[in-house]
Amino acid sequence: MKCTQVRRHFSGLRDGDLPREQDTAVRGHLASCPDCRAEWDAYTCALDGLARSPRLEPSESMAGRVLNRLEVERRGPGLALLFRPVWAARPLIWPSLIPAALVVLSVIAATLFLDRSSDVLPDVYVRPGSMAWGAAPEPGTEQNPFFAGGAVDGPHHRGVGVPAEVLAELTDGTFFIQTVVARDGSVAGGTLLAGDEKSAARLVDAMRQQRFEPARYQGRPVAVSLYRLISRMEVRAPVI
Amino acid sequence: MSMAVARPDALAAPVGLEHTLIQECRRGDPRAFARLVEVHERLVYGLAARLLGDSEEARDVSQEVFLQVFRTLDQFEGRSSLKTWIYRIAVNQCHNRRRWWQRRRRDRMVPLDVVTPAEEPREGAECGPERQFQRSEQARVLQRALGALPFRQRAVLLLREVEGLSCEQTAEALGLPVGTVKSRLSRARLALKQELEKSA
Repeated sequence: MKCTQVRRHFSGLRDGDLPREQDTAVRGHLASCPDCRAEWDAYTCALDGLARSPRLEPSESMAGRVLNRLEVERRGPGLALLFRPVWAARPLIWPSLIPAALVVLSVIAATLFLDRSSDVLPDVYVRPGSMAWGAAPEPGTEQNPFFAGGAVDGPHHRGVGVPAEVLAELTDGTFFIQTVVARDGSVAGGTLLAGDEKSAARLVDAMRQQRFEPARYQGRPVAVSLYRLISRMEVRAPVI
Repeated sequence: MSMAVARPDALAAPVGLEHTLIQECRRGDPRAFARLVEVHERLVYGLAARLLGDSEEARDVSQEVFLQVFRTLDQFEGRSSLKTWIYRIAVNQCHNRRRWWQRRRRDRMVPLDVVTPAEEPREGAECGPERQFQRSEQARVLQRALGALPFRQRAVLLLREVEGLSCEQTAEALGLPVGTVKSRLSRARLALKQELEKSA
């Protein structure tokens, strides 16, 4: 038997798998060939070293950690997904989809139910004489003399102003008065916003009697609010 | 002339005890499963550590192995021993983890010689620092040589030489024909010897 053939049977010889005749032939060759004997010794030394190598042991028992992981999985797939890699979590995706689908169906059903019941909302109570909820009066009318923006021309004063004796009756102080100049030039209302009410009574009445060239917006007359600030103070010459 | 010697802990567990343990685990008894883990954790961790060359990864994979054992225990038909079945799961898990590494090119970054033996010195053996260094160095050289082998050769070599399985049991654990195991084992033994000679 040649050396190359003998060395090809080293694995079988180590396992004791060789047929009796082959086993005898290989062993006979090893006894007579120093090179093959040295090769066999190196071969068995390497494998014996591996077989006798110390067993690698975990630093701590893993039973507790494994049981904890199992407990997490038993509690619910949602939590378990956090503790498992993606490929291991894949079997838990389908169980997770079932409760997810139930939640979505519940939300849809609740939405449809609430939407159906909104048809019978209660009526809003409106006090008689008050402005009802709904569309606001058109801007530029006496009921809504306000503009959010835009150029408004006027109003321009027409005729006499406030009589001088009315102004003379005012006590010292500041009066802030809101009037609404209607679309026909008359004063639709007057309200004292600040100042002595008793002293300003005749002033407000006088203002209600005034007439104006109505304000115009894009060529048509509109009602506007007109605010007037009147201050009165007595000024005396210094005594020398 | 030396022959492969099976380790005492590699011998099959008593059939009756194993059967009882499996039945209790199937009933969901946590103490039985803890016992199953304790009995097999050294085998699984040792194999995973040598297959992967990384103690942290080995611990992680070992946990995955036992989780899979628990999940699929109902599918265990008893054609092989429980230990062989667990070895099969362990090798598959290590193979999957290694492929995961390769996809992320981590196999080039993780050293294959970071695992160190944790065995207590035998009674009467030298335990001085020189001897400890020598043993540690031997283990490192051995692990590096193992790491140079292809995964399939490493698996068959470890199951046969370190875990002490017979060729038939190794074939069962790897799901291969016995002839394939023997030819792969022959190549793996020769490759290991050559790698060790390179290191020397």
